[in-house]
Amino acid sequence: MRDPMNPDYRPMRLDEIDDSLQKEIREKCGVDVEMCMECGKCSGGCSNGHVFDYTPRKVVQLVKLNAEDTLINMDALWICLSCHLCSDRCPSGIDTPRILDYMREKAYRKGVTTRPKIRLFHELMLSSVQKSGRISELPLIFKYNWMSGQYMKDAILGLKLLLKGKLSFHSPGVKAKEDIRRMFSGSSAKRTWGEP
Amino acid sequence: MPEARVIRPQERIPDIPEQVFLFRSCTGSIEYPGTESAVKETLKMLGVDAVMDPDQTCCSGYLLTCSAHKPEVSLAVTARNLAIVEKKELDTYTFCNGCFGYLSELAHILLHNPAYLDMANGVVGKLGYRYEGKTRIFHVQELWYRMKDSIARKVVRPLNGLRVAAHNGCHYVARQYGILDDGGYPTFHEEIFEILGAKPVFYKERQLCCGYSVGRGFTHKEEIVQPHLYKKFKSAEQAGVELITTVCPGCNVALDREQPNINKRYGEAFKIPVIDLSQLIALALGVPIHKLGFAANTTPVNNVLKRLGIGKETADG
Amino acid sequence: MGNRTKTAVVIGAGPAGIEAALKIAQAGFRAILVEKEAELGGTLKQLCSSFPRWEDPQELLDSKILELQACPEVAIRKNTVVTAGTPNGNGYIVTLSDALNAQSDEVLADAIVLATGFELMDISIYGEYGYGVYPDVLNALEFEATLKEWKLGKGKPPKGVALFKCVGSRDRSKGNPYCSKICCMYTAKQAGMVKELFPEAKVYVFYMDYRAAGKEYEEFVREVIEKRHVRYVRGRPSKVLCEDGRLLVRAEDTLLGLPVEVLVDIVVLAPAVVPRPTTRRLAQMFGAKTDEYGFIEPDRFNPVQTAARTFFAGGCGFAVETPLAQQQGAAAAANVIALFRLK
Repeated sequence: MRDPMNPDYRPMRLDEIDDSLQKEIREKCGVDVEMCMECGKCSGGCSNGHVFDYTPRKVVQLVKLNAEDTLINMDALWICLSCHLCSDRCPSGIDTPRILDYMREKAYRKGVTTRPKIRLFHELMLSSVQKSGRISELPLIFKYNWMSGQYMKDAILGLKLLLKGKLSFHSPGVKAKEDIRRMFSGSSAKRTWGEP
Repeated sequence: MPEARVIRPQERIPDIPEQVFLFRSCTGSIEYPGTESAVKETLKMLGVDAVMDPDQTCCSGYLLTCSAHKPEVSLAVTARNLAIVEKKELDTYTFCNGCFGYLSELAHILLHNPAYLDMANGVVGKLGYRYEGKTRIFHVQELWYRMKDSIARKVVRPLNGLRVAAHNGCHYVARQYGILDDGGYPTFHEEIFEILGAKPVFYKERQLCCGYSVGRGFTHKEEIVQPHLYKKFKSAEQAGVELITTVCPGCNVALDREQPNINKRYGEAFKIPVIDLSQLIALALGVPIHKLGFAANTTPVNNVLKRLGIGKETADG
Repeated sequence: MGNRTKTAVVIGAGPAGIEAALKIAQAGFRAILVEKEAELGGTLKQLCSSFPRWEDPQELLDSKILELQACPEVAIRKNTVVTAGTPNGNGYIVTLSDALNAQSDEVLADAIVLATGFELMDISIYGEYGYGVYPDVLNALEFEATLKEWKLGKGKPPKGVALFKCVGSRDRSKGNPYCSKICCMYTAKQAGMVKELFPEAKVYVFYMDYRAAGKEYEEFVREVIEKRHVRYVRGRPSKVLCEDGRLLVRAEDTLLGLPVEVLVDIVVLAPAVVPRPTTRRLAQMFGAKTDEYGFIEPDRFNPVQTAARTFFAGGCGFAVETPLAQQQGAAAAANVIALFRLK
């Protein structure tokens, strides 16, 4: 959205907005945002609505305004709990979590996020599965703490878990590692850890 | 007219199955093995045979929420898991809202998008699997509710008016169509409590999400999960709740394991044990305590057991 | 057939049915006004005030009853329902069953006017609002009774009231997709009445839009907002919870885009207007068509006719306010009169 401090600022021109994002969401996600009557019942009950920068109703409105950049860069994308209360209560049955899932995919591909730690965590999980066929917890935790700069996060808890035998240094991979790798490469997306 | 949102249990599960495929949950079977054990014992008591297969993997719900940029992996994993069940010609029963929600959602996507189904079957076909969409997906809470009359007949340890509150979790009641109860004000867990002799409690934040949401509990514990849970526990404590039941191991982890952290952070003294609904039912049906695995609970269940007069056999014993 | 005065059977004695029966009779024909309840008036009896002039509906009803008394050609049958209708030449043989005396009799009808009115949807399916769970969550008609009590000085004065519109209307997910037309106006009326009776009470109306399309309607709603100080909040509420013995409403103020909460004593829900089940049954009896919801389906070019000798008026056709019900009743009567004068 434009910067109001800029002297050349002009308000949003609705006639210059096309409906390409709306069409895309309709085709790819099966959600028709025209059905939204802007009532706000979704946002009223949103579990995390009070900390979102854009509440569910606003998310739908952003789709109508073709504001893909705003959607990809917003914080709500990463702290949505997927509790589905919004879509359950919507009188038009709009599946807002699906829209957010889709925008999250796009944000990944563009490499943008307001919460780099969450993205880091997701990528470490995936790469762990890709390499060994399972989520090796201790290596995952170590890598996560190291790469996010939170070296001592949950260190005492981790020690307790280690001593109780709930975590272990030894994490065997699965036997069919090749099949897992094939599953990953067979899917159209490629490994993005380390590749923005 | 809209598709039916709430359907009667008899329509959802017309005939009581003799044999079901019990789908393991990664969080459930590992964090709370007592839950899996309770489900198996209860099924045995109700005369339903539970079939499992070590070949199954995690439902990949974590991967889906955490890795929206690789949904194809989750689709392939789902196709493989459900193909395993289909080889046995059974229906899939999960005991985790996460598994239930993700399996249902991904199965729906597979069956309504031929391109995805071909992709998934292509990937897993090389491993010898094929998913056709024949198996139906249920959560054991639906079976418990459907068989509540049988459960009522078999109660041997009535729960003495214990004040129990239900935590339904989001990934069952917030689905829009084809569920057993109204997401706006669900009461089917409370009906089960009454059958078991407990007293259901409705507290203000009963339906608040636990905040764990498959991964946020790890990456954003302090920012998201703990404030959520603080509100929830405060409300539960004020209403005099003695025990909370869940039907999702994820919720169970959040509600159970975060209590000491919340107590430390906010200076409170919450001590409300959290167990799975299946463990509660198994308890009332007389399953021996050592099979219910309460030692895995962070917030001790001992006081509740003592209150129910099961003092001698302690949670560890 | 030549000497017998033509007779219309008017089913339902709300404002539409009363008007129809009166005009048919005053034009020189006969009308049998059939009413299932013990008193005339239909839903009008339950209302506490009216829009847009804050008039007392009872005065209208009393005036109509006087007119009826002065019109012996209207045969009033209270506590009576129509149990059968068989085609008979150019009319019907209608069986009327009197519930009080447990008797039935048959009359010859040359025309039928359906005026069975509407009822309110059962909104207990909106579990998030707690109707049927919390005793202080009422639907609009139950609240009219509360308002009447308060007017008489009875009942407990409220400190806060929240009114929700569109509960079950404009809802393609759980309820009915249509707009029930009258709720925006009667909700404004109810909110305004609370403020008139209890000026210190906090009254909130949660809305998506307000639809005030009628003579003096917009001025009425503005008066409620600007002079009586009812707070209108734009946002359909998401949930009603119980806190400290009162009711907590959670919604989003969509104009600001922030979640809001409000603690009140009573929550009033404006349910969707739906047709009564009897309407469909009677329609089938008398050759009329109904739409997918059960409202009477009109002829394409005659909005109060639905079959060769069957006409309708009022709420059984769709949600309608009192003056419009009267208008439709009079229009149905005109059709009947024209029919009766055709040789």
